[in-house]
Amino acid sequence: MLRLTPAELAMYNGRGGAPAYVAYEGKIYDVSASFLWQRGRHQAMHEAGTDLTGALAEAPHGKEFLERFPVVGMLSQGFPPKPGDPQP
Amino acid sequence: MAKVAREMVTRAGINVDHLLELLVNNAAAELTTYYYYTILRANLIGLEGETIKEIAEVARIEDRNHFEALVPRIYELGGKLPEDMKEFHDLSACPPAKLPADPTDIKAMLTVLVEAERCAVRGYTHICNLTAGKDHRTYDLALSILHEEIEHESWFSEFLGEGPSGHFMRRGETSPFVSKFLK
Repeated sequence: MLRLTPAELAMYNGRGGAPAYVAYEGKIYDVSASFLWQRGRHQAMHEAGTDLTGALAEAPHGKEFLERFPVVGMLSQGFPPKPGDPQP
Repeated sequence: MAKVAREMVTRAGINVDHLLELLVNNAAAELTTYYYYTILRANLIGLEGETIKEIAEVARIEDRNHFEALVPRIYELGGKLPEDMKEFHDLSACPPAKLPADPTDIKAMLTVLVEAERCAVRGYTHICNLTAGKDHRTYDLALSILHEEIEHESWFSEFLGEGPSGHFMRRGETSPFVSKFLK
C-alpha cells in the first residue's frame, strides 16, 4: 500500500504511461481502468493526480462511483485514518 | 462562431473552453449511444425483446437528435468536433453501451440501457448546474435534453421493475423537448 504526499500523487496523472490515481478523503484510488478517466481527465473538469475530496461534493454523483475502483494507497497529508481504513 | 454570444457567456463567469469540452464529450456520448443502441435494438428479439424494442428505438432516435442539437451550440461558442471519429468515440462522456455477453438476457440488456441513460442524466444535470443563470441558451438546450434523458431512464427502470415511471404513453413526434432546436 502506497503512502503519497500530494506532490507525489500529482505524478500519477494518467499521462505518458503513468497510472491515473485520485485521492478522496485520504484514500488513493486507481482509476486507470475507467473509460471515463482516459488520458487522466474526467468530464473536462477533473485531473488525475489530484485530491478530489472537495470536487466530489459538486459532482452529479457520489463516492460510490470511486469506490468501484481499487484503493492503492493513502494520502499522507489527507484525513486521519478511520477504523477499517487500509493500513499503509 | 457567435462572437458576442461567447463573450456574454465568458463575462457571466463560465470557462467556455471547459464548457465546450463537456459539450463535445456529451455530443460524443449521444452519437456513440445512437450507434450502440442500434446494435441493442437489432438484438431485442423474441417475446421479451420485442416488448422493449419500441422504447429502445425511441431512445435511439432521440439520442441522435441530441447529438444534432448539441453540434450547433458547440460551433456557436467557438468549438468544433474532432476530425478523427475514433478520437471522438473515446471522448464520450459515458462508457460504451455495449451489447451484453448474452444478448438474450433481457434484464442485462435493460441494465445497459438504464445505465447509459443514468450517465446522461448526470451529465446534463451537471451542465445545467454550470450554466444556470449564466448561459441561457446552453442551459435551455441541456435542460431540454435532460427532460428526454429522464424519460428514457424512467422507461427502462420501469421495465426492470424498479418502480412505475408514472408516464403516460408518448404521443406525437419524437423529441418533444429537443425538437425546437432541430427546426
